[in-house]
Amino acid sequence: MGGQGVERREILRYIGIASVAATFPGFQRWTFACANAAAHGVPANTPPKPYTPLFFSPQQFRMVEHLAEMIIPADDTPGARDAGVAEFIDFALANRVPISPRGDIRCTKDAIRQGDDAQGRFIGGLNWIDARSKFLFGATLLECTAEKQIKLLEEVAYKAKFTQTTEEGREFFQLIRDYTVVGYYTTKIGLETLDYPGLRVVWPKMPGCTHLDDPEHLHLKKPASKQSSAH
Amino acid sequence: MATKTFDVIVVGTGAGGSMALKLLCEAGLNVCALNSGPRIDPSEHYRQHRQVYDLKFRGYADPMALAGKVHQEWYSIEESEYSEGQDLFEHDIEYSNAPGTDWYWKRCKATGGKANFWGRSSARFGDIDFKAADLDGFGGNWPVDYAEIAPWFSKAERYMGVASTIQNRPSNPDGEYLPPVPFRCFDYILQKACGKIGIPYLHDRCAQLTVEHNNHPACHYCGNCTRGCDVGSFYSPTWFTIPDAEATKRLTLLTNALVRSVLVDEEGMAKGVAYIDRATNTEVEVYARVVVLAASCVETAHIMLNSKSRRWPTGIANSSGQLGRKLCEHLYGCPGYGYLPQLVGQPSTPDNIADSTVSWMPRWQNLKNPREEKFIRGYSVYVGGGCGEFPGHYRQLEGFGSEYKKNIKRYYPATVGALIQAPTLPSPKNYVDIDPEKKDIYGIPQLRFHFEWGENELLMWEHSKRVMIDLFKAAGGELWGADTAPNRPGTSLHETGVCRFGNDPKTSVTNKWAQTHDVPNVYVCDAGIFPNSTDKTTTMPIVAFTMRTCDYMLEKFKKGEHKRA
Repeated sequence: MGGQGVERREILRYIGIASVAATFPGFQRWTFACANAAAHGVPANTPPKPYTPLFFSPQQFRMVEHLAEMIIPADDTPGARDAGVAEFIDFALANRVPISPRGDIRCTKDAIRQGDDAQGRFIGGLNWIDARSKFLFGATLLECTAEKQIKLLEEVAYKAKFTQTTEEGREFFQLIRDYTVVGYYTTKIGLETLDYPGLRVVWPKMPGCTHLDDPEHLHLKKPASKQSSAH
Repeated sequence: MATKTFDVIVVGTGAGGSMALKLLCEAGLNVCALNSGPRIDPSEHYRQHRQVYDLKFRGYADPMALAGKVHQEWYSIEESEYSEGQDLFEHDIEYSNAPGTDWYWKRCKATGGKANFWGRSSARFGDIDFKAADLDGFGGNWPVDYAEIAPWFSKAERYMGVASTIQNRPSNPDGEYLPPVPFRCFDYILQKACGKIGIPYLHDRCAQLTVEHNNHPACHYCGNCTRGCDVGSFYSPTWFTIPDAEATKRLTLLTNALVRSVLVDEEGMAKGVAYIDRATNTEVEVYARVVVLAASCVETAHIMLNSKSRRWPTGIANSSGQLGRKLCEHLYGCPGYGYLPQLVGQPSTPDNIADSTVSWMPRWQNLKNPREEKFIRGYSVYVGGGCGEFPGHYRQLEGFGSEYKKNIKRYYPATVGALIQAPTLPSPKNYVDIDPEKKDIYGIPQLRFHFEWGENELLMWEHSKRVMIDLFKAAGGELWGADTAPNRPGTSLHETGVCRFGNDPKTSVTNKWAQTHDVPNVYVCDAGIFPNSTDKTTTMPIVAFTMRTCDYMLEKFKKGEHKRA
C-alpha cells in the first residue's frame, strides 16, 4: 500500500478526467492528462516498491505510519496508511515543506530555519512518545497493545484527559496531527472521503441550495454531536 | 525598433492596459504594448483542472524554489505550485519598505497581470463614494460623479459579463447583470440572520459567466478560477481584451520589457519609453505620440517618479508634488469564522465550485447619517464557507481516531467565514517614493513604501468583529475565532491613489479624464487615479474608467490634438 498505490489510482483518475474533458466543448486546449502523468515519472505499470524514507530512520518511519493511522484510521473509508500519509510526512520534513510553521516564511532562509525546527520537533516528539510509553507501560509505543497506545495518545489529545508535565507531548500531537490531516486530505482518497465536490470538474450549473422552502434550514437540525469544538 | 514610431505606447497589459490596447487598436491606431514579464499561456500556466494531489508538494510549493531570487516570498493565493517555475510573478526586482512599513507587494508580471487570477467582485462605485467628502467633510470629492460614469460602468459590465441581482441599495448602484450565481445553504441561513440584525446579505456583483456571453462559454464550475480559467468563463485580459486587440493586427506586444522611464522631448512632452529587454539585458527605446501608463498603480508611480528630466526634475507630470502620495489600500482580515449547527452532518454540497464571492454584506454603515458610527464611510464583508478544497476546520475539532475523522466530515458542510474589505482613508503618512540608495538588478532606483493602518480603518476592523458575534448568534451558529490582526498591507491587491485625478492641477496628477495635467500626451489607466478606496473592489471601475479615457483620447486624435505617427 502507500504512495505507489496512490499513484496508480492517480493515473486512473487522469484517464477518467480526460474522458470528461473530451466531451466538454470548451476544452480544445486540453493537453495535460498524459503530459502530467509523464511528469510524475510514473509509468502506468510500475510495480509497488517498498518506500525508503528520506528523513526518518526505518524505525521512526514505522512509528509515524502507526501514529498517522491512529489519527486517521481506516474504517468505512480508507485511512492514513492507504493514503500514504507517512510517506508524505517524510517527504515534507525532508524537503522542509512548511506544513505547520511557527511564524512567517519570507525568504529561503526562513524556510530552512522553519524546516529544521519541524525536523527537530518531530524527532523530539517521537522520542517523547516512546519515553512516555516506557514510563507508563514499560515498553515502546509499537510494542504496546492498541488499548495502551490509545490511552497514551488520549492523554495528549483531549483537554479533559491532559495530565501534568505532558506539554511537550501535547504539542507534538498537534504537530503530527497537522501533518497527518494535510497528508491525508490532499490525496484523492482523503478528498473522496470528504466527498469533495471539486473532484468533479465539469458541472452543468451551480446547483446552490435545494431547501428553498426552509431558508433557515431548521428541518435539518439534528441532536448536537457529543464532539464539541476544542480551543 | 528604435526607428518606428507608434501612435500609442501602453505600459502594462492588465485590466486597464489591455482594455486600452483593445479600444485603441480597434479605432485604427498602431499600438505598442510593453509587458514586464512573459506571455501567459492558459494551457501551460493555469491550473487546468489539476487537483492538489497532482502536485509534488501538494500545493505548498517547493520552499527552496526561490533560493537565489532577490524577492523570495511567495505570493500567497495568486501564486502557487500550479504555476511554480513558470516565472509569472516578480521575484527578481526588489522594493523597499520604510522603517515601520510592512507592505506586501504582489506583482504578476505575465501578460494580463493580476487580472488572470482575480477575485471577480465587480460592484459599481456610487455617489456615496464620489461625493463622500460632501457627506462627511473628509478630503475632497472625486472629479467625476455617478451620472457621468454610469454609462461606462454599463459598457464595462456588458463587455465583461457580471452576474448579480437588482438590489436598490443606496450604497450600491445596480448595473446590467447576468443571472446570479445561486445562493448556497449557508447563504440562506446567514441572510435570514442578517435580516434579524438589520444588515444586508445579498448576491455579490461577480464577473463570472453564469450563461454564455459574447461568445465566451458559460462557467463549468470547476472551482479553479483563482488559478486561471481554462476556457475564459470570466473576464481576463488573456481571454478577452488581448485577443480582441491582436485580431486587429495593429498591436505590437513586447514581452519581458521592463519599462524604466518615460522619455520626453525638449518641451517636456512624452516621446516614448525606455525599457530593459530582460531577455538580452539591454536598454531599448521605443517611441510614440501618446503614452498610456497602466503598470498597476504603484508601478505606474514608480515609472513616473523615475522619469526625471530637466523639465520634470521630480518625475514626469509631478508639478503638483502629488505623485506617489496618498496610497490607499483595503484592509483585509477575517473578523469571524465558525460553523452553523443546522448543516453539521449534511451531505457535502458543491458550495465552492463557483470559487467566488457569491455573496456579500455590502456597506450598511453610515448610510442614514454619515457620522453614525465612530468611523466615517464604511466597509463590506464577503462570506464564504462550505465544502472547500481542504477541511481547515480540523484544527477546531478535538482528538483523533475514527470519531475525529467522522467529525471532520460532519462539520465539512457547516463551516463559514467572513472577509472584511475596509477602505483606508487617504493619509499623508501613506505614500511611495524612490529609495534614495537602493537600485534593482537592472540599476533602476527601486520603489519604497511608507504605509500604516489608520485609526478609521482599524475602527472598522473592530466593528466588524463585533458584527460577526451578533451575526453568528442570530444564525444559531458558533464562532470559532477571528484573525488576531488584519492581514499585511498589500494583501488585498487593491492599492489606489498615487496618481490621483482631480480638477486642480496643484493638488492632483491627472485631470478627470486620467490625462496628466502637466503632460497632455501621458495618460494613466489604472487604479492610481482613484483618490481613495471604497468598500468596493477596483477592477471593473479600472476597466470602465479606461474605456472612458480611451474615448476622450480618440476624440483628441480625431481633432488633431494628438497627432498620429
